[in-house]
Amino acid sequence: MVVGVGALLEVVAVCAGLPADWQFVCQNADYLAGGLLLTVALTIASILLGFAAGFPAGAIEVYGSTYAKLAVEIVGVVLRGTPIVVIFIFTFFVFPVTEWFPIHRVLPVSDAFVAAVVGLGLRSAAYQAQLFRGSLQSVDAGQMEAARAVGLSKVDAIRHVVVPQALRRSVPGFQNEFTIVLKDTSVAIAIGLAELLTRSQELFVQETTAVTEVILAISAVYFVLTFGTNRALDQLNERYAIPEDS
Amino acid sequence: MSRRFSMDRRSYLKVAGVASTAGLAGCLSSFGAGGDQEIVAGTAPGFPPFEMKEGGDLVGFDIDLLEAVVEETDYELTEWREFEFSSLIPALTNENIDVVAAAMTINDERDETIDFTDPYYNADQAILVREDGSFSPGSLDDLSGHAVGAQEGTTGASVVDEELVQSGDLEESNFKTYGSYVLAVEDLVNENLDAVVVDTPVANTFEAQRPVTIAFTYETGERYGFGLREDADDMTSALNDGLAAVQDSGEYEEIRNEWFSEA
Repeated sequence: MVVGVGALLEVVAVCAGLPADWQFVCQNADYLAGGLLLTVALTIASILLGFAAGFPAGAIEVYGSTYAKLAVEIVGVVLRGTPIVVIFIFTFFVFPVTEWFPIHRVLPVSDAFVAAVVGLGLRSAAYQAQLFRGSLQSVDAGQMEAARAVGLSKVDAIRHVVVPQALRRSVPGFQNEFTIVLKDTSVAIAIGLAELLTRSQELFVQETTAVTEVILAISAVYFVLTFGTNRALDQLNERYAIPEDS
Repeated sequence: MSRRFSMDRRSYLKVAGVASTAGLAGCLSSFGAGGDQEIVAGTAPGFPPFEMKEGGDLVGFDIDLLEAVVEETDYELTEWREFEFSSLIPALTNENIDVVAAAMTINDERDETIDFTDPYYNADQAILVREDGSFSPGSLDDLSGHAVGAQEGTTGASVVDEELVQSGDLEESNFKTYGSYVLAVEDLVNENLDAVVVDTPVANTFEAQRPVTIAFTYETGERYGFGLREDADDMTSALNDGLAAVQDSGEYEEIRNEWFSEA
């Protein structure tokens, strides 16, 4: 309790010099930070799940057998054609994923969080499958032929020759996908997750004069997040770029 | 029809239908929702003074009233869950929650899917204008030729649409809808709008907080009720008894005075 009062006084002191509405934003910074944490956690978990399912799916669409290809394509079309809010309603209300995988009993996350990660992750997997399909197909057919000619099996040729080149070419598309997932986390309000955007709405309902200030503040946060990550991916892209023909 | 049930939300209704069918077919257990005597309540914060978040805590008239009503019964209110307004009915039919307390207007469309308690609040529509402005309409007709705003899917929006736009009294380009009535009022204060149509209790809150004033009210006679599943007859009648008890004991007055003191 003493600590709480101390922290409160500190916050008040830091925010004191600001105009009233910015003071309000400043005083609620910790509440917004909680939403930011949830947004970041949702994005990372969903992107990872999307990669884990999307990369193999993309490879199957390029190299798979007829039936495997057909199955992956159908699932992909359904996922890409369904609005994210409907996917959430399915993973939370209709076929609650946590009923089969009660991860939320082990990890400190809510059942809504798990449903949101599965929803965003599956949708991202469908997008990422297309992204990786494109970059796999962009690798010249001669690369494959050359790899087979030196005695690699088809699987080894894909793994050691095509995939390393395709992954490097997929970075720009991946930047796009990251940004989409980050922004779509805000739809999780539909199943009761209070991430960054939801919390900002709660704040400007509470202090209706501070609409502009709250929106500017969270826009800045979203901008820093997307800009920072995109710059980092740019670096990665340059570091691992396929050397130009000399 | 208090708020947020616009055309593009129809997909929700369809999904809600699918969801409830799946639920009835026994595909779902009562995962998450309380046991026999426990009640998990659901709401959609962001509708002051009925329900909103303050410093991260859920507060408001609906919150206090439902807690007082349940107190009068043998049930126990164990948890509040928050959803978007349009997710509340799917959450209810899928047993994620047992009761909806969210300033939900009792109407036929909703009554087909869920049950309601006896009404606990009456609301009309208020026409808000700038406090220091020269525009002071006295009836809906006075709004023609002026920029009018409302929140998407609310009764206020349908009043403007049905009474003014469809009859040609107001040009469509002069009618603007917003995702949140907070933004509509923001535009009113910024002089981009001349009037905003919202539920009376919410208009009172704005009148106390912003430089706006209620020019006149338009009677629609909406009644808010708590929403329950259709098979939950015991709970419905218990809550109705609880509501009557709270109203008789004067506790209802106390709670109302606390949240509508500006009115």
